[in-house]
Amino acid sequence: MTDPTLIRNFSIIAHIDHGKSTLADRVLQLTHTVADRDMQEQMLDSMDIERERGITIKAQAVRVMYDADDGKTYQLNLIDTPGHVDFTYEVSRSLAACEGVILVVDAAQGVEAQTVANAQMAMNAHLEIIPLINKIDLPAADPERVRHEIEEGLAIPADEAVLASGKTGEGVRDALEAVVRLVPHPVGDPEAPLKALIFDSYFDAYRGVVALIRVIDGSVGKGVKVKMMATSTITDVEEVGVRRPANMPVDVLGVGEVGYLITGLKDPALVKVGDTVTLARHGATEQLPGYREAKPMVFTGLFPIDGDQYPDLRDALERLQLNDPALVWDPESSHALGFGFRVGFLGLLHMEVVKERLEREFDLDLLATAPSVEYHAYRMKGDMVVVHSPQDMPDPGHLDRVEEPYLKATVLVPPDYVGAVMELADQRRGTFKDMQYLSATTVELHYEMPLSELIMDFFDQLKSRTKGYASLDYEYIGYRTSQLVKLDILLAGKPVDALSFVVHKDKAYARGKVLTEKLREIIPRQMFEVPIQAAIGAKIISRETVRAMRKDVIAKCYGGDISRKRKLLEKQKAGKKRMKSVGSVDIPQEAFMAILKVDE
Amino acid sequence: MGQAIGGQGPIGGAPGFTVPWNEPPRVPLPKHLYVHVPLCRSKCSYCDFFSRADDGAVSHTELVEATLEMLRGWLEPTVRRVPLETLYIGGGTPTVLGDDLVTLVRELTTIMPLAEGAEVTVEANPESVSPELLASLVAAGVTRLSIGVQSLDDETLRLLGRCHDAATALDVVRAALGAGLEVGADLICGVPGLSHDDWLRTLDAIVDAGVQHVSVYPLSIEAGTPMAEAIAEGRLAPPDEDATVAAMDAAAEVLTARGLDRYEVANYAVPGHESRHNTAYWTGWPYLGIGGGAHGMLDGEQARALGLVPPDETGIVRVRYGYAADMFPMRLEKSLSAFETMTAPEALREDAMLGMRMTRGVADELAELAGARGAMESLVADGLVVHEGGRWRPTERGWLFGNEIFARIWGAVE
Repeated sequence: MTDPTLIRNFSIIAHIDHGKSTLADRVLQLTHTVADRDMQEQMLDSMDIERERGITIKAQAVRVMYDADDGKTYQLNLIDTPGHVDFTYEVSRSLAACEGVILVVDAAQGVEAQTVANAQMAMNAHLEIIPLINKIDLPAADPERVRHEIEEGLAIPADEAVLASGKTGEGVRDALEAVVRLVPHPVGDPEAPLKALIFDSYFDAYRGVVALIRVIDGSVGKGVKVKMMATSTITDVEEVGVRRPANMPVDVLGVGEVGYLITGLKDPALVKVGDTVTLARHGATEQLPGYREAKPMVFTGLFPIDGDQYPDLRDALERLQLNDPALVWDPESSHALGFGFRVGFLGLLHMEVVKERLEREFDLDLLATAPSVEYHAYRMKGDMVVVHSPQDMPDPGHLDRVEEPYLKATVLVPPDYVGAVMELADQRRGTFKDMQYLSATTVELHYEMPLSELIMDFFDQLKSRTKGYASLDYEYIGYRTSQLVKLDILLAGKPVDALSFVVHKDKAYARGKVLTEKLREIIPRQMFEVPIQAAIGAKIISRETVRAMRKDVIAKCYGGDISRKRKLLEKQKAGKKRMKSVGSVDIPQEAFMAILKVDE
Repeated sequence: MGQAIGGQGPIGGAPGFTVPWNEPPRVPLPKHLYVHVPLCRSKCSYCDFFSRADDGAVSHTELVEATLEMLRGWLEPTVRRVPLETLYIGGGTPTVLGDDLVTLVRELTTIMPLAEGAEVTVEANPESVSPELLASLVAAGVTRLSIGVQSLDDETLRLLGRCHDAATALDVVRAALGAGLEVGADLICGVPGLSHDDWLRTLDAIVDAGVQHVSVYPLSIEAGTPMAEAIAEGRLAPPDEDATVAAMDAAAEVLTARGLDRYEVANYAVPGHESRHNTAYWTGWPYLGIGGGAHGMLDGEQARALGLVPPDETGIVRVRYGYAADMFPMRLEKSLSAFETMTAPEALREDAMLGMRMTRGVADELAELAGARGAMESLVADGLVVHEGGRWRPTERGWLFGNEIFARIWGAVE
């Protein structure tokens, strides 16, 4: 156990791409935690997909030993947090394990939406905030402007902000000195019953669930019987240790220390992020505050292109869930797409990441339907139906009202683009709340808008209409009643369930028209004419036609052509295999996502 | 070296010589031979075949000798020659060789003698055919001329980059018929700018001229050709699909009405004048191919005897090979650029697929052996194929959607 006064627990928080992971890499090098020859980029992001996309999905904790200018050696626990809004809950749990944060702001980009959101979260958690202006080596760096933005926009004193470059390593030592000097050391009662916060967990095929914990009171070591308070699960401790960043067992984790805990439990559902670990006997009676269940907000149908892969998809989802308890699913069957699953995600990034991992790590070919949200449909007879899939929307005749999830969206943008943002938000049913100047170059706008509008490529649109300058953050604010209808798409006269979607009544006509036009472009000409119709109930609101192909024949086929032409046919066939046949119509996969690309 | 192997007896060798009991039997070579002559007067705007302009850079005699050498290369001691049922000299434009072409025919048929009544076809373009050449070719054993007429509309011929006009083409057709040759004419339909009436006039005129065989190809835009470039740059309209289909339908109607029956997707003939050589391609007979870019097909036994596949690879029943697209491919270190082996189920499916190019279609037995019955039935349900008299045949609609038929049959077994 280490004297708590020599411990500092801190996170690095930042808007995406502001250089958080690179900075963490420099910390590992400076403290000789990782030998230079073992160093690789984004050391703490272990998944391929994290490195490729430059994002952090799983929280990570690493202990480094730092020889400070005051001659003492400090135990620094760096807790790397996911940066994306989808993982806000994980971020809040990670912050709950810290006493301070380094708030990284890009010296060229300045304060962005997630800078604001993360700073607010740190303030709400009463953490010491050390501003760090990163990437000062960039030609476009303007630390003075950014310093001003931090002070004006975030109300955080920044005259002593650390100036650093994760790329060159400049200022990294200054940052660690600031952590030692400014971040309070942990305070806890070593004699009290164990209280430790689980701020993340992952599944290890050999060891079972590994929990990342921060000890608040008491201590924990091998052989002790512990209890997970939210699930009342009692188990023995097999091993505790610290991550450097590889697991290194220790005898005991004491007050203020951060490390891992292995119990041999195999079911991740029993070891929940946010839960409190205490002793099985004479344990603490009160949980640490802030625990809640992860709640999926975005739903999509995932179907194997090859129906035989359905069991493989189920296995793969189960395997992924071991490391991602936020992932939920139910079997779903579609006339068009066969058997698959309705999968719930924390948000769009979470959805993309999971789909990509399923395809890449489990070698599945998947078709995803357009994402949807959880609607609450209240029927005349008074009950409420939870609708995760447009197919489940009750008949309009029986509906009293439908509620949909709303969120508060925060957009930060240079003043020149305020008009463009307002126009877009207006198209997406946004209600303007307020607007303020964070600085001469940054305006903060607040909107309330339906989540369903946000998941319709809102972010892409926002980026393209503001030349990439706008940044976005949002939080859920609850359910509100909206005038919603289900729009069906018929191909060759038959409704294709997987193409149905829920839309606001006032936008149904426009969107139906654009979507049928889009589908006409996407669906290839077939041997027969294919009418495409959009309908609300029995009422057709728009119609397009894919003209029939007139001929499809290789007319010239002699001795030298046979192999070549056969290969050509094989290639065509492989292309067709990537399509779904619904009735006699071959539908390319992108058709099922077309609704997302509808820019009316 | 081929000269050393004499005779055409069942085992070869000199008459009266007794083959020891343990001598491996000699395997008969194919009875169909294709020879590619990769020269043309000039390249046409739509053509992506392996051929180059005959600008004097390639010596005709050298090319002829190289071609013969390539043929001799196949005469391994483990195989024996059989009389050729068909010989096809294609291109390019073989007739640009002039008298050297006559030499080529004579020498080829010396190395590989012709069977009684063999079909010997030479491809020709109107600009390089003279009455004298026709007479010499007939004397050398040529029986059939396949002429690249393409159109009898001068404007269309210019657009296609052809170096002849309609009048010349008709003259050559008549001269060839007069010389006693069977004559086939190739035509291209769907050329941008060609009216339907002009197309009908071309069809009538070519039949009036007395040809026994017509091939009709819709214009196909091949990547990298000047025509593809013109379309990409907007200088030329792309072929109109509706007009092309109308032209294909009109060809079927007019030619059939005038006594030329359709016997394959693109081929029409007065009964008895179908191309025997091409029919061999569509009915699974092995053929040798020689010349730059030429392809050939051998059965498994032939391929093993020639050392193209190891002797113990008995599962291979068919081999397709192709020479590199080079003027003198045998001078290259690896002169075969394409090589593909097939198992019996694959070869059967290929036969069924190719069989459906033809009016007579595929017999029940073959469809069954190829495992293609289910595919055939689905094609019948879609109106592309009809099943009658123990055979599966393409319907009128099936002619237009051949790829659907071929793909389903080829993909019948995964």
